[in-house]
Amino acid sequence: MTMTWFFEQIEILSRVFYYLIQVVHWTILISISAYVLAMVLGLVFGVARISRNRIIRVFAGAYINTLRGVPLLVLIFFFYFGLGKVINLDRFVAGVLAVGVCYGAYMAEIFRSGIEAIDYGQHEAAMSLGMTRWQTLRHIILPQSVRIVVPPGANEFIACLKDSSLVSIIGLRELTRAGREYANQYFLDFHTWLVVGVIYLIMTLSLTRLVKYLEKRVAVHGYGASRDDH
Amino acid sequence: MIIDVRNITCRFGSITAVDNVSLSVDQGEVVVILGPSGSGKSTLLRCLNALEEIDSGEINIDGFLIDKSHRHIHQIRLEVGMVFQAFNLFPHLSVLNNVNLAQRVVRRRSRAEAARVSKELLAKVGLQDKLDAYPGQLSGGQKQRVAIARALAMNPKIMLFDEVTSALDPEMIGEVLEVMKQLAREGMTMLVVTHEIGFAREVADRVIFLDEGKIVEQASPGDFFTNPTHQRTKDFLARVL
Repeated sequence: MTMTWFFEQIEILSRVFYYLIQVVHWTILISISAYVLAMVLGLVFGVARISRNRIIRVFAGAYINTLRGVPLLVLIFFFYFGLGKVINLDRFVAGVLAVGVCYGAYMAEIFRSGIEAIDYGQHEAAMSLGMTRWQTLRHIILPQSVRIVVPPGANEFIACLKDSSLVSIIGLRELTRAGREYANQYFLDFHTWLVVGVIYLIMTLSLTRLVKYLEKRVAVHGYGASRDDH
Repeated sequence: MIIDVRNITCRFGSITAVDNVSLSVDQGEVVVILGPSGSGKSTLLRCLNALEEIDSGEINIDGFLIDKSHRHIHQIRLEVGMVFQAFNLFPHLSVLNNVNLAQRVVRRRSRAEAARVSKELLAKVGLQDKLDAYPGQLSGGQKQRVAIARALAMNPKIMLFDEVTSALDPEMIGEVLEVMKQLAREGMTMLVVTHEIGFAREVADRVIFLDEGKIVEQASPGDFFTNPTHQRTKDFLARVL
C-alpha cells in the first residue's frame, strides 16, 4: 500500500464525513423531540401507574406493557403507513411520535421506580402537614426522584438517539438514510457505513461523558445542593 | 374535650392492632401512652390523624369527625401535628424551607410571613443558627427539633409524638424532651407514645397502658407508677422501671 492510496482513503472518508455531517441535525432533532415527548409521557404515565384510581392505573399499565412489547420498527410503520395515512402525518411527525411513545413507556417505568424509591415516611410527613397527594408529589417526592431518575433517564436518551436511525426506513433523511443514499450512489458502502458509525459513536460517547458528569453532580451535591425556596 | 375516640378498631389483615378503644382527651392535657412493643400504641396515634384507616368506630377531633368516609381528613390533619420516630425531614430542603413549605402550600402564607413564623419556631427549639443547613448536616436531636418546629408551624391544636426519642443517641434525648416539656407547660394538648418513663412521670397528666390493642389501665402518673391495679401493668412496670 502506497502513501497515495492511504491519502486517497482519507480524502474519501473526509468527503463522506462532510457530506453526512450536514444531515446530522435531523438525527439530533428527531432524538430530542422524541425524547422530550417520552419524558412528558413517562412522567404522566409513571405517576398514573401508581395512582389510587384503579382505572387510571390499569390504563397506564396497558400503555406501558403494550408499547414495550411491540418492536419500535413496527410502531414506526404503524404511525407512518397506518395512522399517518388516516390523519395525514408527515414523516417527521410520524417518526417522532413512534419513537416518543415507545420511549415514553420506558421512561414511565423509570419515573415510577424513582417515585417508589422515596421512603414512605416522606409521604406520611407531608400528609400529616395537611398536604394533598398532588402537593406531596410536586414538592416532596418528585424533587427527590429527579436525582434517582437522572442516570437511567439519560441512558434512555442515548438509546433513543441510536434508535432514531430506524426512522430512516420511512424515508426521513436523517443520518442513516442519507448514508444509505450516499453509499448507493457512489458505491462506497465500506467508507460510508464506517463514517455513519463513527458519527453515531461521537454523539453517544459525548453523551455518556455528559451522563457521568451529571451523575457526579447529583452525587456530590446530592441533598444539599438544590435550593427550592418556599 | 378536644379528642373523643369511640370504639375504634384498626386491623392489618388478621391482626387487630387497635381493638375497640375509646378515649377522650381534654384541651391542654398531656397523655402518655405506654405499652410493650406491638401493643398498638403507634397505630392508635396514627389513627388520630388518619394515617391509618379505622375499620370501625369514630374519632371526633375538635368537632371534625373521622370515620370511613374520610371527609374531613384534610381539616383534621391541619389541627393535628405529628412528629415521627424517623424524623422524616425533607432531605432536599434546607431547615428553613422544611418549616416553610407546608405553611406556603397548605396555609397559603406569604413567603415573608412563613419565614417569620419559621424563624420564631426554630429559635424556640434552639436552632436559629441552622436555618440554611440541610437535614443531612444535622444530628439526630437537631433533626427531631426541626421536625417539631415544622409541625408547630401549622398551628396545630394537638401534637402527636410517636416514639420521637427512640432513634436518638442517649445524649440527644434530653434536648428533645426539653422542647416537649416546654410545649406541655405552654398548654399544648399532647399525646405521647414513648419509652421514657421519666418523661411520663414528670410531664404527663395521665398515663395510658395499652396491651394487645386494648387500654388496660389509665391513671395519673402518681397512681400509675406507684399503685398499678392490673397484673399486666405490674408486669410491664417491673420490666421497665
